[in-house]
Amino acid sequence: MELTWEIIILQIIMGLALGAIYVILASGLSIIFGLLDVLNFAHGTFYMLGAYAVFVAISLCGNFWIAMVSAIVIVALLGGLFEITLLKRLYGTEPIYPLLLCFGFSIFMPDVIKLIFGLVGKVVEYPKIFQGAAFVGTLILPKYRIFLVVLMGVVLLALWLFMNKTDIGMIIRAATRDRLMVSCLGINVSRVWTVGFMLGVGLAALAGVIAAPMVQTIPNMGDEMTVESFVVVVIGGLGSLGGAVLGGLLLGQVVSFVSFLYPDWSNVAIFMAMAVILVVRPRGLFGEEGRA
Amino acid sequence: MKKASILMLITAIILVFAAGTKAQGPADVGWVFPLTGPYGAYAEEMKRGVEMAVEEYNAKGGILGGPIKVLIRDSELKADVALRRMKEYVDSGVPIVGGNLSGGISMIINQWANKNKILYMSTCHNNIGQGEADRGRYGFTSGIRSYMTGNALAEYAFDKLGKKWMVIAADYRWGHDEVAAFVVKSQEAGGKFLEAIYTPIGTRDFSSYVPKILALKPDFVVLAVFGSDLVAAVKQFNELGLTKRTKLVLPKTAVPIMKECGAAYDESIYGAVTWYWKLYEKYPNAKPFYQKYVAKYGGVPDADADSGYVGAWTLFKAMETVGSKTDTEKIIDTLETMTWNLNHGTEKYRACDHVREQTVVILQGMGDKAKNWDLATVVAEVGPDKTLQSCENDLKDIPYGPVLKNLPGK
Repeated sequence: MELTWEIIILQIIMGLALGAIYVILASGLSIIFGLLDVLNFAHGTFYMLGAYAVFVAISLCGNFWIAMVSAIVIVALLGGLFEITLLKRLYGTEPIYPLLLCFGFSIFMPDVIKLIFGLVGKVVEYPKIFQGAAFVGTLILPKYRIFLVVLMGVVLLALWLFMNKTDIGMIIRAATRDRLMVSCLGINVSRVWTVGFMLGVGLAALAGVIAAPMVQTIPNMGDEMTVESFVVVVIGGLGSLGGAVLGGLLLGQVVSFVSFLYPDWSNVAIFMAMAVILVVRPRGLFGEEGRA
Repeated sequence: MKKASILMLITAIILVFAAGTKAQGPADVGWVFPLTGPYGAYAEEMKRGVEMAVEEYNAKGGILGGPIKVLIRDSELKADVALRRMKEYVDSGVPIVGGNLSGGISMIINQWANKNKILYMSTCHNNIGQGEADRGRYGFTSGIRSYMTGNALAEYAFDKLGKKWMVIAADYRWGHDEVAAFVVKSQEAGGKFLEAIYTPIGTRDFSSYVPKILALKPDFVVLAVFGSDLVAAVKQFNELGLTKRTKLVLPKTAVPIMKECGAAYDESIYGAVTWYWKLYEKYPNAKPFYQKYVAKYGGVPDADADSGYVGAWTLFKAMETVGSKTDTEKIIDTLETMTWNLNHGTEKYRACDHVREQTVVILQGMGDKAKNWDLATVVAEVGPDKTLQSCENDLKDIPYGPVLKNLPGK
């Protein structure tokens, strides 16, 4: 089929929207790894919890936007509780222990959700204002996808401002570089870690919230997202926020165009992209030498 | 001393459990469903159907003076796990096996069952008995032959929805079967095939196909995907306004899918099922099944619950008639000749290939008019005389075999 400019523009928008979810999700993963050196295998689980939290919140308040904020706060608090009560005990141990803890949580939590909500998935409708598509001649402009791209920009800007213009953001960045020096300055690093983990988990929840109207909200919806968010982070470079952004956007476009041109390859395309990038640049696009 | 006491306690507990297990004896039927994984909700329906048949029989005293015992295990939607579970059942003395929710896995179990002379009752859409390699004395299906739903829906679509069509199909045997059914019917009905897209299981982004669909302007799009993939596709196509420009036809839909799609499952969506709960208005014998299900589980029973129920119920009825829970040959002979009147009126297993002769129901979505579990309107019910090929054709796998070997778009 002919690849017209309308199709190319739409595919780019689709890829950007998909990339937006990847970017938000992987940014959280990257922050957690950069700050805590923890490979959060429960990241997809927090994404799933975000989707369920927004479902519950919409059921209670009926407003997508209030529900969105509530869901992020609830999941971030849950993440904080997880970090304080379980994860914190494993800092300073072999990296495999926190990894196994997160992995165990990712198996345990979907079963809890199954018990509470059942196996049939939950419906999260699109916010009314962004339902449907606008048509400009033969060009389709899907409203919700465009919203996702804008939201990604807002989130990244807010994240940049938080990291660079606030005290806590600068402390987080400093702790990422040299936690010993930060603690020597009299700053409670333990609390910084908790805030960093909550921030990362909150971003995972946001990704789950915005994905919920588009996909099936079921207990295992995060399984594949964990893997895919790791692919994004590996492509971008472990622990690099900029890398997560570029990696997410790149993968969004790869999936979008491969799905269109070679649908059979759509599921393996991201892994092929990762393989190619790692061959050319083993530390990822923005990764630091010796960290990958 | 303390350690020795703990050890003795553990040993005692193990012995008590071991004695209890032995006293219980082997089950009468061992079932395997993909209770975890992407088809978990639908597998749960099948499991509930089996449980209802067991409860129904045990409430009237079981069979041969004793209660019916079944075991139900998880296949994780993996062929190797499903086969291993089946072998474990047989090795532990379970004479009959059943279940599954994947046509491909059913075929593997069926071949193993026929080779080892184990009675196997498949409960899903599959191709048991289609083609010489897959026809055997020991395999039955209370589900449906895959092409039957495609056949019924294609007949309806080419008659009511238009002639220009394209397909998005799951890239495995069931998806291919549905494509073949539509291709054959398209040739008969003067349809115009436009495009075929094959997607791997687990595809979550279907929006990438929208530009292609809009450019091709089909009268309807056959969406032969299932589970999470189908929910994602319907929601995304609705979001992008596709359902306002064309119709979607789904060779297999389900109540959980309609529920999960919400208002996105609108009037432009036509789906095939083997049974829908509203049919109790037409078939009075289905009413007790519906009522018991609602009372026990809440919600409404789905077609998969019916498949599990009928599969188990017919096995138990055959055991009762034969007067044995283990005489496989006589139970098979009985299953081949018996008829029953449960949720679909009078039905039977076709003697030549053991496929359940049942109707296909075509449902139209209701979108935002749906309330609670009233999710779709029954627009047609197509009998097996119109959807099932003759025994001879199925043995030679015609007319679908040649299409499957040369699938469009492959």
